[in-house]
Amino acid sequence: MISAALPANEPARLAALASYSVLGTSPEASFDDLARLASVICETPIALVSLVDETRQWFKSHIGLDATETPRPVSFCSHAILEGGLFTVEDALRDERFADNPLVVGDPHMRFYAGAVLTSPEGMNLGTLCVIDHRPRVLGDEQTVALSALARQVVVQLELRRQIAERTAAEERLRESQARLQRVFDGSNDGFWDWDLTTGQVEYSPSFAAMLGYTLDELAPRISTMEALVHPDDRIRVRNELASQLEGQTDQYSSEHRMRRRDGEWLWLLARGKVVERDASGLPLRMAGTHSDISTRRRAERELDRFFDLSIDLLCIAGMDGTYRRLNPAFETVLGYSTAELIARPFIDFVHPDDRAKTIAELEALRRGRKTIRFENRYICRNGAIKYFAWTASPAPEEGTVYAAARDITDAKLVEETRLEVDRLKRDFVSTVSHELRTPLTSIRGSLGLLASGVAGELTPTAQQMVAVAERNSVRLIHLINDILDFEKLESGRVEMDLRPTPLQRVLERSIEAISAFAEQEGVRIELQRSAATVIADETRLGQVMVNLLSNAVKFSDRGGVVQIRARPVRNQVEVCVADRGRGIAAAKLHKIFERFHQADSGDSRVHSGTGLGLAICKAIIEQHGGTIDVESREGEGSTFRFRVTGAREVA
Amino acid sequence: MTTKALIIDDEEDVRFVVQMSLGRLGRMNVVEAASGEAGLALAKSEHPTFILLDMMMPGMDGMATFRALRANPETASIPIVFLTAKAMASEVRKLETLGAKGVLLKPFDPLTLAQEIEAILAA
Repeated sequence: MISAALPANEPARLAALASYSVLGTSPEASFDDLARLASVICETPIALVSLVDETRQWFKSHIGLDATETPRPVSFCSHAILEGGLFTVEDALRDERFADNPLVVGDPHMRFYAGAVLTSPEGMNLGTLCVIDHRPRVLGDEQTVALSALARQVVVQLELRRQIAERTAAEERLRESQARLQRVFDGSNDGFWDWDLTTGQVEYSPSFAAMLGYTLDELAPRISTMEALVHPDDRIRVRNELASQLEGQTDQYSSEHRMRRRDGEWLWLLARGKVVERDASGLPLRMAGTHSDISTRRRAERELDRFFDLSIDLLCIAGMDGTYRRLNPAFETVLGYSTAELIARPFIDFVHPDDRAKTIAELEALRRGRKTIRFENRYICRNGAIKYFAWTASPAPEEGTVYAAARDITDAKLVEETRLEVDRLKRDFVSTVSHELRTPLTSIRGSLGLLASGVAGELTPTAQQMVAVAERNSVRLIHLINDILDFEKLESGRVEMDLRPTPLQRVLERSIEAISAFAEQEGVRIELQRSAATVIADETRLGQVMVNLLSNAVKFSDRGGVVQIRARPVRNQVEVCVADRGRGIAAAKLHKIFERFHQADSGDSRVHSGTGLGLAICKAIIEQHGGTIDVESREGEGSTFRFRVTGAREVA
Repeated sequence: MTTKALIIDDEEDVRFVVQMSLGRLGRMNVVEAASGEAGLALAKSEHPTFILLDMMMPGMDGMATFRALRANPETASIPIVFLTAKAMASEVRKLETLGAKGVLLKPFDPLTLAQEIEAILAA
């Protein structure tokens, strides 16, 4: 036995066979009829529609034979397909190729075989329509013709079958695709519409109707339904937008407009669509699209737009390239340029020349992704005025833009500059007063002092008195001026405190020394409890405080009284108390005692600093030391003034 | 030998008070100059024991006069005491660093002026 070789195009042939999806299917009447006709016309007991597969020949129809397949190596058809056309074996026993073939020697005892090859329209030999007999035979001419014709019909049937199978599969895919699409639309709540332009019919999806509050059967499936629902103010625009797509001017139809809901409310929609079918001349035949509810977005946009327009601050979107993209109306209001003018040039053109370099640097930082917080620069308005702005900006690199907001701080800057100017004027004033007032006072005080000393000759008692009065008051004037100037400097923080570790004892002793003459004069004794403490202080200024407090204490003490000074550590500070047992201070006046020009006892000029500034100056000095000062007092019993300053470890 | 004082101050009244104070009470010999330039000239011709120099003067002010006095070898060694209405500790230190012998504040006590100056000069 000789098995047939494989045809040269075997892989392609097998693929073509597979494309018919016929292998393994049940017998069908159309194929069986053709086989039966072959068997009748050729007068054979057996007729087969045989398809040669990779390892077998499989029978779509088997008339007169129970088997549905036989192995390929023993098949006669595999020989037939090598050549095509008609393959005949008149007596298998006499043919060396088939003499010992099991199908010849055994069941079904084939002796005669005639197979008309089934050739596909592409030229693939798929198998045969063959007739088989148990005895050697020869076919007549008409039988041969008929067999060939029937074979062609088998191919026709196979083709038909394939096309039907393909169509069914395509329909299934389409159905699945539509179902999927519908699921998507339903899931997104979008509405779908399909418009046949030739008839004016439109198919609306249930979601389309639902979006507007209708049921599908309440909407007539016509284009007029959609048109009638559009807001009158939007109709012309919608028509134009639709027309653009229908005429092929736009890639896609996209329109934001309002449609009326069943309850009468207007709904903002985004309608999108495309012409899906055009005729040969380009006229649109069919258009399909979607509707999305954008009312929430529009409301949000409207809300934000309102704020954008309302804002007094300047709000803008600028490109990374340095030009404005979008500006709120505040720009026009504040700068005086129109939006068109502002967008036309790089925004750096409007920045004050002196601030351009730093503005460019800031933009550079934004480009690199860093936010801007409180960046100040100046802009020049249309009318030439200069305005100060404080900017906050955030980059949006994915958009290539920067979002920025600016506050007009010109007024605040003006206030600040005015304040600085005022301060400068005050300083100059203090400076001037300092010299101007003191110079004539030098002469006044000098002359009076000299007069009083008798250097210009002896004065009469009355003259002496007068001169004494004048001198006393000129000294008082000098002290007042000193205090005022001193206090002003202290209050504005312009006094340099030379804070260093200072032995407290020294400060206390020196201050006692300074007022000792006055104390003696008043008959008041000073008692000092020795202190080993060291304080961080400006020795001169702290001394000034002590002298002040001691003077007051002496002034308010009665003749024979005692003023006590005590110091003690309190945590990291040192507390100094100056206590007297004098008149005391009325409770009502106590809380104001450290204020300027407060006089606990007006008209008393015994103390050399009866200016009312003494305690205010003390407070200012102590506070500049980072300390605190306060007082305890009871009328008729005396007062204790207490201050605390930072202590230090003792200096050796 | 009597101390000779040179007072350089544009204010006539101040010069008078100094004259009275140092001259009468302090028993010094006092020469007066009303400007920096006049002061320079007098310093060279009178060879005072010390100079009392006002800071704020129109034209050649205290600092300029001070520098000029220092720059001139004839006057460079004469001790100078500044008279000033402004008394910031830092300014005082600055003046002392520059070579002033001392700083006195205006208005001064005419009765103690001489002692104060002597104390400064002795230091």
